Amino acid sequence: MVDLIWNPIILNPMLNGLIALTSVLGGSFGLAIIALTFIVRLILLPLTLKQLNSTKSLQGMQPKIQELQKKHGKNQQKLQQEMMKLYKEAGVNPLGCLWPMLVQFPVWIALYQSIMRALATTPESLLDLFRHLYSWEVVTRALPLDSHFLWLNLGVPDGTMILAIIVGGSMWVQQKMVTAPSADPRQKSMNSMMQLMMPFMFAFFTLMFPSGLALFWAVSNVIGIVIQYWITGWGYLRRGASTQVVTKAGGQSGITKRP
Amino acid sequence: MKQTKILFLIAVSLFGLVLASCVPGGAQPAKGWSGITSNNGTLYMGSMDGKIMAVNASARTQQLHFPADGEWEYPITAPSGGGLSCSQTSASVAIYGTPAVDEALVFIGGYNGKVYALNTSARSKNLDFPQMRDNEWFYPKTNEVIGAIVGSPVVSEDAIYVTSSDGKVYSLDKDFGDQRWESDVLAKKLWSTPYVEGDKVYVSSFDGHLYALSAEDGSITWGFASESKIGFVSSPAVSNGVIFVGSFDRNLYAVKVESNETLWNFTGGNCFWATPLVSSNVVYAGCLDGKVYAIDAGNGKELWKFDTKSFDPKGKGSPIVSTPVLAGESLVVAAELGNVYVINPETGIGERIKNPGNDNKPTINAIVQATPCVQEGIVYIRGQDNCLYALDIEQGGVKKFPLVTE
Repeated sequence: MVDLIWNPIILNPMLNGLIALTSVLGGSFGLAIIALTFIVRLILLPLTLKQLNSTKSLQGMQPKIQELQKKHGKNQQKLQQEMMKLYKEAGVNPLGCLWPMLVQFPVWIALYQSIMRALATTPESLLDLFRHLYSWEVVTRALPLDSHFLWLNLGVPDGTMILAIIVGGSMWVQQKMVTAPSADPRQKSMNSMMQLMMPFMFAFFTLMFPSGLALFWAVSNVIGIVIQYWITGWGYLRRGASTQVVTKAGGQSGITKRP
Repeated sequence: MKQTKILFLIAVSLFGLVLASCVPGGAQPAKGWSGITSNNGTLYMGSMDGKIMAVNASARTQQLHFPADGEWEYPITAPSGGGLSCSQTSASVAIYGTPAVDEALVFIGGYNGKVYALNTSARSKNLDFPQMRDNEWFYPKTNEVIGAIVGSPVVSEDAIYVTSSDGKVYSLDKDFGDQRWESDVLAKKLWSTPYVEGDKVYVSSFDGHLYALSAEDGSITWGFASESKIGFVSSPAVSNGVIFVGSFDRNLYAVKVESNETLWNFTGGNCFWATPLVSSNVVYAGCLDGKVYAIDAGNGKELWKFDTKSFDPKGKGSPIVSTPVLAGESLVVAAELGNVYVINPETGIGERIKNPGNDNKPTINAIVQATPCVQEGIVYIRGQDNCLYALDIEQGGVKKFPLVTE
């Protein structure tokens, strides 16, 4: 299965592409990871836009959701039913914002494998690398790769905590931009937990996984923030008393700032 | 929404766990592929569990209890972190090189960055290591280490030579382990086995350089840089003033020593990982494309090629990772997937040694990455299953000896 599908269709193109990018970018594996992140985000852009539109629609529905929460706060079953009805009427799938994230999982796994294989830190890894390489000169010219980029050794976790803070911080910003506030205390607590848990988990992963992968996460998060800003502005990051959600007719929504 | 978020959190956590533990192809741990050296009827090799072993083939055939007379084992360990317990434990060390033997001393480098000299007599008696009076030592002599050692040590006169992942070549006194010299940093790391000829030590590097160092003081007497800056992946073989070395770009290069002249290059279907074997002006080169090439050392013309694919019952070729060896009038090639071939070195006509138990299975049914050894007409191969295999290429018999002792 792995040899027939995963390796030839996903892993090998990514691995060879990554090494070819390294060759083109003057032998810098770190720059190649950053370039690959841009390419991956570009490929996933339609899904990302779908996710953001879904998020935007959910943001626009917040007043109605809060109304429902006030109305049926004590009856959770009824609240769920009414919310699902609301989503259906607005043509919004609350799971829609999760798919792009899930689709990225195989990409992350392939990237993790590509980074580890490309850096070939052990003799076994170097030998194994040759099983996956194309005969392109642009690939063979770059070998063996230099694992150093800025202060990082891309093949091992970053021990300085800097990358963990960047990954966790950028993820928190991205989450904060899209997570709508809730009047329901339980929902509010859940949101707060999510906003902290995810960045914390990825910061923890950064300390466990090769910094090359964490570099991908950091750059990916920054690109995500830029796209998010382009679509919705700072969203709920600057909410507080200064942001008001306005729902337009026909399910269209937008965010306007109070004067 | 609440359920969705919980589901999402679980998915992310699972992703982390999968990435950390289950996804194949991550960082492959260093396991080692030590080759075998034969000396006075005893075989010396590193095992997959980090032991240097002296094995008597005759005793193994008779299934005597290990260690029989003249046999021994010595585990090479290195301190390792105790994980969450914070205590320090010791872990076995991967051994890649083939041991070098000089009279009673066996030399080997470990992936822990230490070089060891073991005395066969002291090890047979299982005395504490090192026995100074038996010329046993380890280098560096303190708790410090040099870079991980992947290449084999080479003995020449009173010195041994090793390369290290710190990019240097070290020359040590054979009897006491004192450092004679260490070279400048030649590359980011050196994994090749040095080739010592006369007063020169030749090494190849991943960054596309060949060097000749003075065996006396380690100074660089000659350097060669490949035009295309393609790195050299195999160890160098030197014959008649020409260095033969495999590179990352799927070529085998012939470079005239002490000149900047590339005599020829020969392109294979994949990389020439194994050190080429040079005999009677012919270069025998195993390739990761599953073929063995015989190349005229003078002009780089292909004399013949032997494709392992043609002999595989499943029609599948196997990369050749280990160096071919000459056994009498035959060339013996062990392919990575376990098939062993006996080839006429003049014609390139050969055959696969059949697995006595099942003709459809590979000859030894184990991964082979270590270089075989020939002793009294028997070919010995250490499989990655931590077993020693003895192949009688005349009779066709295969015997298997586990290297795990009780």
